[in-house]
Amino acid sequence: MEKILTRNIHKERSVSIDVYEAGGGYQALRKAVRSLTPDEVTDQVKKSGLRGRGGAGFPCGLKWSFMPKEKKKPHYLLCNADESEPGTFKDRLLMELDPHLVLEGCLASAYAIRADACYVYIRGEFVHAAGVLDRAVAEAYAKGYAGSNVLGSGWSCELVVHRGAGAYICGEETALMTSLEGERGYPRVKPPFPAQRGVWGCPTTINNVETLACVPSILERGPEWFAAIGPNERNSGPKLYCLSGHVKRPGVYEAAMGLPLGELIYDLGGGMLHADRPLKACIPGGSSVPVLAAAECDVALDFDSLVKAGSALGSAGIMVMDSSTCMVKALLRIAHFYAHESCGQCTPCREGTGWLERVLERIEGGSGRLEDIDLLKSVADNIEGNTICALGDAAAWPVQSFVKKFRDEFVAHVQAGKCTVLSHA
Amino acid sequence: MPKLTLDGREIDVQPGATILQAALSRGHEIPHFCWHPGLSIAGNCRICLVEVEKAPKLQIACQTQVQDGMVVRTASPRVEAARNAVMEFLLINHPLDCPICDQAGECRLQDNAVAHGTGISRYTEPKLALAKAVDIGEHVLLDQERCIQCSRCIRFCDEITGTSELAFFRRGERTVIGIWPGRRLDNPYSGNVVDICPVGALTLKEFRFQTRVWYLENTPSICAGCARGCNVLIATGRQRELMTTQGQQDDRIKRVVPRVNIEVNGHWMCDEGRLSFERLAVAPRLRQAESGGSAADYDEVVREAARALAAAAQAGRAGLLAGPRATCETLYAWRRLGSALGSLRGAVHAIERGADDELLLRRDKGANSRGAAWVLAPPTGEAGLLDAAARGEIDVLVVLGDALDPHDTPALPDAVRARVETLIYVGPFRDAAAEAARLRLPAAAWSEEDGSYVSFEDRVQLLRRARLAGGAARPGWRIAVDLALAAGVELPAWTQAADVLAAAAQDVRELDGLTEERIGLLGAPGGLAATAGA
Repeated sequence: MEKILTRNIHKERSVSIDVYEAGGGYQALRKAVRSLTPDEVTDQVKKSGLRGRGGAGFPCGLKWSFMPKEKKKPHYLLCNADESEPGTFKDRLLMELDPHLVLEGCLASAYAIRADACYVYIRGEFVHAAGVLDRAVAEAYAKGYAGSNVLGSGWSCELVVHRGAGAYICGEETALMTSLEGERGYPRVKPPFPAQRGVWGCPTTINNVETLACVPSILERGPEWFAAIGPNERNSGPKLYCLSGHVKRPGVYEAAMGLPLGELIYDLGGGMLHADRPLKACIPGGSSVPVLAAAECDVALDFDSLVKAGSALGSAGIMVMDSSTCMVKALLRIAHFYAHESCGQCTPCREGTGWLERVLERIEGGSGRLEDIDLLKSVADNIEGNTICALGDAAAWPVQSFVKKFRDEFVAHVQAGKCTVLSHA
Repeated sequence: MPKLTLDGREIDVQPGATILQAALSRGHEIPHFCWHPGLSIAGNCRICLVEVEKAPKLQIACQTQVQDGMVVRTASPRVEAARNAVMEFLLINHPLDCPICDQAGECRLQDNAVAHGTGISRYTEPKLALAKAVDIGEHVLLDQERCIQCSRCIRFCDEITGTSELAFFRRGERTVIGIWPGRRLDNPYSGNVVDICPVGALTLKEFRFQTRVWYLENTPSICAGCARGCNVLIATGRQRELMTTQGQQDDRIKRVVPRVNIEVNGHWMCDEGRLSFERLAVAPRLRQAESGGSAADYDEVVREAARALAAAAQAGRAGLLAGPRATCETLYAWRRLGSALGSLRGAVHAIERGADDELLLRRDKGANSRGAAWVLAPPTGEAGLLDAAARGEIDVLVVLGDALDPHDTPALPDAVRARVETLIYVGPFRDAAAEAARLRLPAAAWSEEDGSYVSFEDRVQLLRRARLAGGAARPGWRIAVDLALAAGVELPAWTQAADVLAAAAQDVRELDGLTEERIGLLGAPGGLAATAGA
């Protein structure tokens, strides 16, 4: 497939505005602010079928249409660049190598929702990317793409890069807003939803970096063209896949939505790392989505196919595990992450994530009991759906799926008092 | 009005009300920890999850607004399972120290563990060890292990006092509440965080380990600390049931906590008022009548005082200097006594300290300054009376001592002491005025008598006796009645404070039509504006 999102990344000085403009950059923004109304931009994005690339897959144009048509307060667009889902590293690539694509997407989208400002909330650890974006923002201002009276259209929009302090929870949309306001990064109880009351109490739309980066090409080449990429109009467009784990060539791959998982692992990824260690399991959408056993891996990587398969596309972080992987240890590592990153605001997640981690630690350490396996599932079930934000679900789903699909391995681990996988890997 | 079907029963709901508010207004309890009616909604404890028809997930009752036609189930198996789960989560790292925890007996965690817990825990891992008995302020200690992170205390300091001393620190299960480095929880309302803490994480130094709460008897009353008139509960040892190690009845005041009155103090009270009983508790008390510095028979002293007072009153040379914490009843009885005897020049002492703040505290520390002005004398008379006394125009001066704090009883200038022939002290303390007086009659202090106070907002409110005065002490109005009897003049046959109030309500225009029944637990507006329409 023709590269859309990664078309510039291999160019020399791809980060500079000259190179970006020479490749046709900022034409979409020009077109939008000069010849389209905000609602027309929204309509085009709706027709394209673009769904959020951050994890939940919410239809992007629909989200924008929740913004008030009549402006009583400032509107804000937030670009969620707090990419921190384990196994996910696509947004970082775009920001480091093609920052103007991200910014043009931000500005065109900001125009659609009548935003007065766009904040790029970037993960604290992305020091290099933040520097690249800062320079790009300065260039965009200098060229009149941001600031007052963008391209003479009469519409003004400030563009600000804001660095987080490195908390996973701040990638949750309402926690991101709280953090941006200078408070402790706690998710907010919804409703109200951001479009009603978002950052600083004003109508706000929040989109993922990759989602926004899709917008310029939709405006340039039309929603029909975009919708035609991928299996159907509900699962459309180009997609960045983050491949990691036991494969020969891990990395970010751009392909059409709906890429078969096998093609990603065995063709693009060069196959399994060790010829004698076959695929055992794969997490297809970042560490929070349910794991797929090898037998379930004949699946297309798009929103609906993966939901049908009992998992989710999530952030498209595809983590490949071969036969040498101890599923107890793998789950412990994931559980540790969520226990560490739980913000601690609401009871089930605060207490439950730590409990899960300690039970898994005990099993991994050889002091597990058979009843612990059901306990893990029960604790995860008690977290799921009962929390303020989705972090609780993200902590529960891996536990539920690992225990369900690899129960024999957990039993063997408990009975042997140690890992039974590595010995005959 | 929106209609809500709550567990099968259709009810009308105020527009904008949440499920929890609607349920509570019908006396239908939904368990909650973090929600507090005086604070913003946090939605973090998750114990109030309920089933809302058509919503796929359980919803928190504290935050979900009732929509017309909503169908809510608060006791379905799914809801009960979620409560079991939340209770289990809350308890896994909570110490099992109820036997030594001050909150036991009034602990929401304990209550909900009984009501919604499974009775067993599946948690076998070590509990988190956190800081205990952290000294965070002049009055408050923090136990981080007992804390359930409901954030009520943080919200109180953010939203009510605006002082923001408290915050969450760290993350996940390691989250603790603490104070910002270099700060102390030292705002004038710090004790409220103890009241609203649903567990034993925040305890009041002054109440810690004093008693088990089930040994307390709560009496609804009014704080005497200032003219706000915060509604309070006075908690004493239970008089009949609890004996001290010395085998005596323990009816001491153990604590004072605010009683909700949205019109007056909301849910709160200041630390000064909360702890004002401590000054009372340690003050040297006058328990028996005294004449010329030595104990004497009460009736004897009353007769002597009545003789002197009657003679002076007839000659128009008697004065009464009352403290602004005397009840309306006492002041009215003395006014009646004065007119019966001839004339008694009344004045009210003023106690003013500090400044009014934006929340509750008033500069006027006279809890009944307004009532005294209505019943006895305008607030400007004190200097005039003392000047007259210093000029030798007053032969007999009665000082009604302060009911709360001996330091608040008016100090008498030397010239007054020198010129007044007979100084009569009527009050609860051995304060400076008492020492100067030849005749001393012991009166009940605050918390030891029934009566009424009028707040600076013209609200008439009832004081209730929480403990016995002890010795020969009795309410100030009764002493006036005793004096009348001894002087051979007639006062009505009042047997209780309510009788005096009833008489005052017929006589004092600002109290027109008020009875104890009408005033009730939450007070009633008095003053000319209110009574004119009545």
